[in-house]
Amino acid sequence: MTWNEYLWFAIPAIVCWLGAGVTGYLTDKKWISNTLMILGTVIFGAFIVGLWFGQQRPPLRTIGETRLWYSFFLALIGFITYRHWKYTWMLAFAALMATVFACINIFKPEIHSTNLMPALQSYWFVPHVTVYILSYAMFGASVIAAFIQLSKLGKGKEDENLNIFIDNIVYVGFGFLILGMLMGAVWAKDAWGHYWSWDPKETWAFITGAAYLVFIHMRLQQYHKRFVLWMLPIAFILLMITWIGVNYLPAAQGSIHVYSN
Amino acid sequence: MNSTKRSVWQFPWRYTESILIVIGLVIVGFALQLSVGKVDFVQLAYPLNIVVGSGMILFLLLFAFARNTQFYQWFSGVPFSVSLIGGLLVLGIAMGLIPQMQKLDPHAHDIWTLLGLTQVTSCWAFVLVYFVTLLSLGSLIVRRLIRFNWRDYAFYFNHIGLWILLFASGLGAADLRRYVMYVYEGETEWRVYSDHGDILELPIAIQLNDFVMEEYPPKLTIIDRESGKAQPEGKPDYFQIDERYPEGRLDKWELRVEKYIHQAVRNSDSTYTEVPMPGATPAVLVKITNTETGKSFSHWVCGGSIAQLYMMAPLTETLGLVMTQAEPKRFMSDIVVYTEDERVDSAELEVNKPLKVGDWMIYQYGYDNIAGKASNYSSFEMVYDPWLPAVYVGIILFAMGSVCLMWSGNKKKRKGDTE
Repeated sequence: MTWNEYLWFAIPAIVCWLGAGVTGYLTDKKWISNTLMILGTVIFGAFIVGLWFGQQRPPLRTIGETRLWYSFFLALIGFITYRHWKYTWMLAFAALMATVFACINIFKPEIHSTNLMPALQSYWFVPHVTVYILSYAMFGASVIAAFIQLSKLGKGKEDENLNIFIDNIVYVGFGFLILGMLMGAVWAKDAWGHYWSWDPKETWAFITGAAYLVFIHMRLQQYHKRFVLWMLPIAFILLMITWIGVNYLPAAQGSIHVYSN
Repeated sequence: MNSTKRSVWQFPWRYTESILIVIGLVIVGFALQLSVGKVDFVQLAYPLNIVVGSGMILFLLLFAFARNTQFYQWFSGVPFSVSLIGGLLVLGIAMGLIPQMQKLDPHAHDIWTLLGLTQVTSCWAFVLVYFVTLLSLGSLIVRRLIRFNWRDYAFYFNHIGLWILLFASGLGAADLRRYVMYVYEGETEWRVYSDHGDILELPIAIQLNDFVMEEYPPKLTIIDRESGKAQPEGKPDYFQIDERYPEGRLDKWELRVEKYIHQAVRNSDSTYTEVPMPGATPAVLVKITNTETGKSFSHWVCGGSIAQLYMMAPLTETLGLVMTQAEPKRFMSDIVVYTEDERVDSAELEVNKPLKVGDWMIYQYGYDNIAGKASNYSSFEMVYDPWLPAVYVGIILFAMGSVCLMWSGNKKKRKGDTE
């Protein structure tokens, strides 16, 4: 199988995924959205397997090939997370993100051949990036929830269920974040010689992790409720600096994590 | 902000006292920095780091006898640990914003350099907060291990994993050695260069049998024939040569790859033939169509190499179509490794595929960038890190803890004062 057959798999998969996201909200019959989500993921996975056999090597060498895995794992891990936690938005988010990456490969076919430099050619690349995308989603949701709770606190009626939601979502996001960092560390040992070199991106990841640790530990106690909630948007800003801002920081010129010219 | 009225420094200590103590640590750190200079990690190397590490563990064990005191409760409790994490966070932000120096300029006397903030990882303030964090986290772990409860498995994975990780990477940093070795094809080398450019002899030697590089097909781009700058200037557009997608477009020219030769040599009539030999260069025959005038022509384009001239397809009087340098797809060194008395191992070393020899790891590092695949040497990074197994134990425990976090979330209800 080659990229020429991509549309035959991508379009049915996208239809299934989007269908799953929509029916998740429209109907209480969860088996419909579950079946659609699984079906879409299996169809998309079949293309990856086919391409693997067709090219006689794991499809991990170009940006386009990497995107296949993003779609696949976002759908798969997103679905498992949704099944466990039962928040419908998780299903919708996973379906949407999987669709976005699948569509980029449809509309920008030239990126199929955008080359990966040798350091990026690793089995760690895809899981390292995928779990980060998922952690951003969880932390993004926690920011929205934190603002809702802050406004409720302002009116003097704290929502205890919302607290539980925030706690859970931050735990899930933090779990993904730490897994991403640890996989990055193991990969860095193989690629760059050391598991932690205080590269600017690593430094900011450390800062972000520390900020979420402050939240996770402070919310164990009932003091300083507003400060604790404000930690979530603050930590999210730090997360965005780690993700995007590092490319623009003067202190980060020469970072080995910057791949664009 | 305290729930009961009490004055500062009266037990139980909370955030005020904790934050003051962390600020105190940082001030002591800055004072040390100004008086004795930066932390010299070479001094902490084996065996001193073993002594310090054993001392810490011994302290934690003895300190556990005082675990019912209010001081112990505070030292291992949430407000102090949050304050320590906050201290690391602030010092981390300093590290993230102030450019960090590999080597200090001995003539720099600005405030950041004097306080050690241009090299935060060897700044006393950072090292002290890191050290006390290890003690605080360690005493919490000891306290919770004494009243062990298997239902707290996620707690143990996360905290013990993180503690081992911080302990082994911190103390191990003093033993870490990283050197670069350059080996010419057909030769054997045991001398390496340190970060400071010193030449050292290692107990390991490497023989380089062959250096091989595979390249991606290059890209085409339009340049200004006078300045040589790729167009549009500042945000150049490229066409990736790929025989599966022969058609493309740059500006107002449609391109169609008619023939691509990765290892080409120029003939006398300015065409190219495939000849796999050193100095061969990628060359492409492109059909170029001006979409405005409809005129089209075919032309060879070639990037050139150390042995051959480049070839450009002229588009207008000012613009031309050229080929970029091919980017490496993979590069590989066929090596044999010897210790002082025997042949140890042989390998095809690649990026992402290091070779482990005892406590040493050997990495494919670089090659002659100008010669590219014609490079007659290969360089290797030699990394010595005896603490690595402990670090991996920490990573595995911490990863298991993360999975537990994701699975169980916060099942426990928010608690009152303790922990």
